[in-house]
Amino acid sequence: MTEFINRNKRQLTWALYLIAAVAILLFLGDQLAGKKAARIVQTLISGVLVGGVYGLVALGIVVINKASGVFNFAHGWMMVVGGMIFWSFFTVSEISLLGAGLLSSATMLMIMSTVSWRNLREGRNPLITLGGIIVLTALMTVGGIEWQWLHALTGTFAGAILMGLAVERFAIRPLIGQPLFTAVLMTLAVAEVLHGVTQIAWGTVELNLPVFVDPQTNSRFRPIRLDAFRDVLDGVAIVRVELVIAFLLALVAFVGFILFFRYTSVGLAMRATSEDQQLAQSVGLRVRVILAITWAVAAFLASIAGVLQGGAVGLSLNISFVALRVFPAVLLGGLESISGALIGGIIIGLVEQFGTLLNSSEQVGTNLAPYLVLMLVLVIRPDGLFGEKRIERI
Amino acid sequence: MKRLCLLLVLLLMAWGTLPSLAQEMMDYPSDLTECEVDLTGETINIFHFGDLSGPYAFITQPVVSAVTDAVNYWNGRGGVCGAELAQIYEDTGGSREAAQSAYDRFTSTYGDQLDLLLLYSSDDGELLREQLAEDEIVSFISAGSIESLYGEDGQTPGWLYASNPLYINQFGFFCQFVAASPEVFPDPVIGFVTWPNAFGRAGTEPAAREYCGGLGVEVLAEPQFFLPTDTDILTQVQNAIDDGANIIYTNSLATGPALIAGTLVDLGLEEDIKLAGVNWVMDTTVGLLGQRVLKPNGLPSVDGMFGSMPFLWWTELSHPAVQFVYQQFTINERGPTEQNIAYLVSWGVVDSIIETYVRTANRAGSLDAVTGADIRETVEAMDYAILGGLMHHRFEEGMRDATMNRIAVLKYANTTMSGPATEPGDALLVDGPAGKMFVPIIVPLTDFMPVPQLRGQ
Repeated sequence: MTEFINRNKRQLTWALYLIAAVAILLFLGDQLAGKKAARIVQTLISGVLVGGVYGLVALGIVVINKASGVFNFAHGWMMVVGGMIFWSFFTVSEISLLGAGLLSSATMLMIMSTVSWRNLREGRNPLITLGGIIVLTALMTVGGIEWQWLHALTGTFAGAILMGLAVERFAIRPLIGQPLFTAVLMTLAVAEVLHGVTQIAWGTVELNLPVFVDPQTNSRFRPIRLDAFRDVLDGVAIVRVELVIAFLLALVAFVGFILFFRYTSVGLAMRATSEDQQLAQSVGLRVRVILAITWAVAAFLASIAGVLQGGAVGLSLNISFVALRVFPAVLLGGLESISGALIGGIIIGLVEQFGTLLNSSEQVGTNLAPYLVLMLVLVIRPDGLFGEKRIERI
Repeated sequence: MKRLCLLLVLLLMAWGTLPSLAQEMMDYPSDLTECEVDLTGETINIFHFGDLSGPYAFITQPVVSAVTDAVNYWNGRGGVCGAELAQIYEDTGGSREAAQSAYDRFTSTYGDQLDLLLLYSSDDGELLREQLAEDEIVSFISAGSIESLYGEDGQTPGWLYASNPLYINQFGFFCQFVAASPEVFPDPVIGFVTWPNAFGRAGTEPAAREYCGGLGVEVLAEPQFFLPTDTDILTQVQNAIDDGANIIYTNSLATGPALIAGTLVDLGLEEDIKLAGVNWVMDTTVGLLGQRVLKPNGLPSVDGMFGSMPFLWWTELSHPAVQFVYQQFTINERGPTEQNIAYLVSWGVVDSIIETYVRTANRAGSLDAVTGADIRETVEAMDYAILGGLMHHRFEEGMRDATMNRIAVLKYANTTMSGPATEPGDALLVDGPAGKMFVPIIVPLTDFMPVPQLRGQ
């Protein structure tokens, strides 16, 4: 018997998952039986689409963790800052040349000095730096309000890169070789600094970010109504366009990062760095550069998520709390798993929506169900659904 | 942003009743008690703390601006009975622990000087209720919960005094309005779609359901909760509608009402389901954020939303109180996003603090001699029109919240600025940071009337 269990452990585990899933579905099926098909389909659609947004937020956290082993508690505030930078460029008709020039200069100086400040003076680097500043500044300021998308995307790109590099350079880099926990605590401090910066720069008032506006109606895109299925569903389900856009962007980002980590030398170097920074450095990997790229990429991802969330509900300091709601998705998918972030996000999105559908009275959907699912999964798979099993050699 | 501000200013000036503010400074509108003592050399401290950087920051931050402007106004005129005004405040970020430590710091640092404290949130009120009583410190709060003002049994008045009616009373008042308007609300069934904190749950109590039921207004027993961070609340709104609601009531701020209104438009139910809420849904932020989604008729999604309006509003410029605050707002070059409830009401709160101290000092002989118990005695004996009528201050017979309210509707100004727009072609549009913007206005639908008393039932 024991031998049978050991030999078929994997199959038996999955059989147990299947039984548990069937039992849950039977229980839920009974609960769902009283609901219209349209409501169930609607909940499914909302769950998947909201889950996609969660997945995109989770991706930024996972990228940092995958490359450096650090759980970034500042991710929510990076979302806010990124969204606010986008708003600043998107809603201003005349961009200040001085402001754009300063942002471009700071960004280029940080990029070119990633290895060391001396690097700025070497070879053709001064020319490259100057060229970069001119190009970025031109892209941020060219034309009027009709070029707002170009201004905002360039400005956000530059601002996010600057934010990521600055966090890495001044907060994380000094801690290379120190216990990981120190770096995690540092991200908490970074979160508070970004909180303060946001308040000083943009205040605390809610801002309208009209990125999902239909130019024909000057209103947010009308949702897609599934009228064709009205008879089958006994009602109408709708699909919100801005959430579809967010979901598609999330998918593109996920595919891109999966390929990046698997097939590019930088991606492989990031994975090696996350295993052991000192060892990676000893075999010639440029840990500083890799960490800098990682933080810049994560800040950019956070900014995209901030813009999408801000466009969907409005830009406010509350956006930072979305990252807290995403933590179960990150842990569920596995801390280092790119695909796990998306799947974890979708599972949490579905659990929240179905929990709300079935029992909305005491926030079962948002406060209880995701954490119950998380606990269940972690008991069965402590590294999350797609996390890497770590073997510690003593 | 500057252009938007300028246009809003022009709009309000063109409303027809604003006196020539640019030419002359208005007189202070209150009928303040005359000083019988000289307080020269003394200081009236306006103590306050609350969430200035957390979830409620977008609505509370103008409190600091308004108190700053009021303090500067008085100090520029020689103070109050010769006493200088000063503002002492802390940001707690909405954290309970931070509120407690701020209170501890205030009481230990300022000791006997701390007789009167301004608080913002029901949660802080509940946290500090017993401590305020023990330390004999009076607290003014915008709209406390039943527990903060009257204790767990709803029958034990404490040391907190609210300038708005209790939220449950506001809801009961709305039920009265619904029952009296069958042509607007036929067969009314109210469903709550609301935030899940103490503020959001107010009005969901059985007492409110029973009261409204007695008026012929059914209230669904199951409230639907959502969080300020929610991206999509289709499920909650549909739950309420499936349960029979044809009126959705919310205790939420800023994005909350706007999100519900947008969801109703997405579902194509903007005409069938009415939206209403507590006094905060009438705030400027809702009027601006609600423009993200337009109804099929081209007007913003929150156009036509009902709400409580227990004080005067910015657009009621025929009243000297509003004229005065508006003039100060303009002189101090405050931005359009600060033109909200908090700025308006905070000027009123400072006025009531001044009146309270003058009356108490007249009795006690000096500020140093004033105690919290003296302040309490003054507050409970006062019958005072704040800023000459912005709000009313009367806490007799154990009352701890305001007793008068009215119902208003959120609309958008028409091009002639003579009333609300009925279609987009008729609406006034101004250039804003996000393109053309409608200009929100509040239209009162009822006079000020007494609210029902539903606590402790």
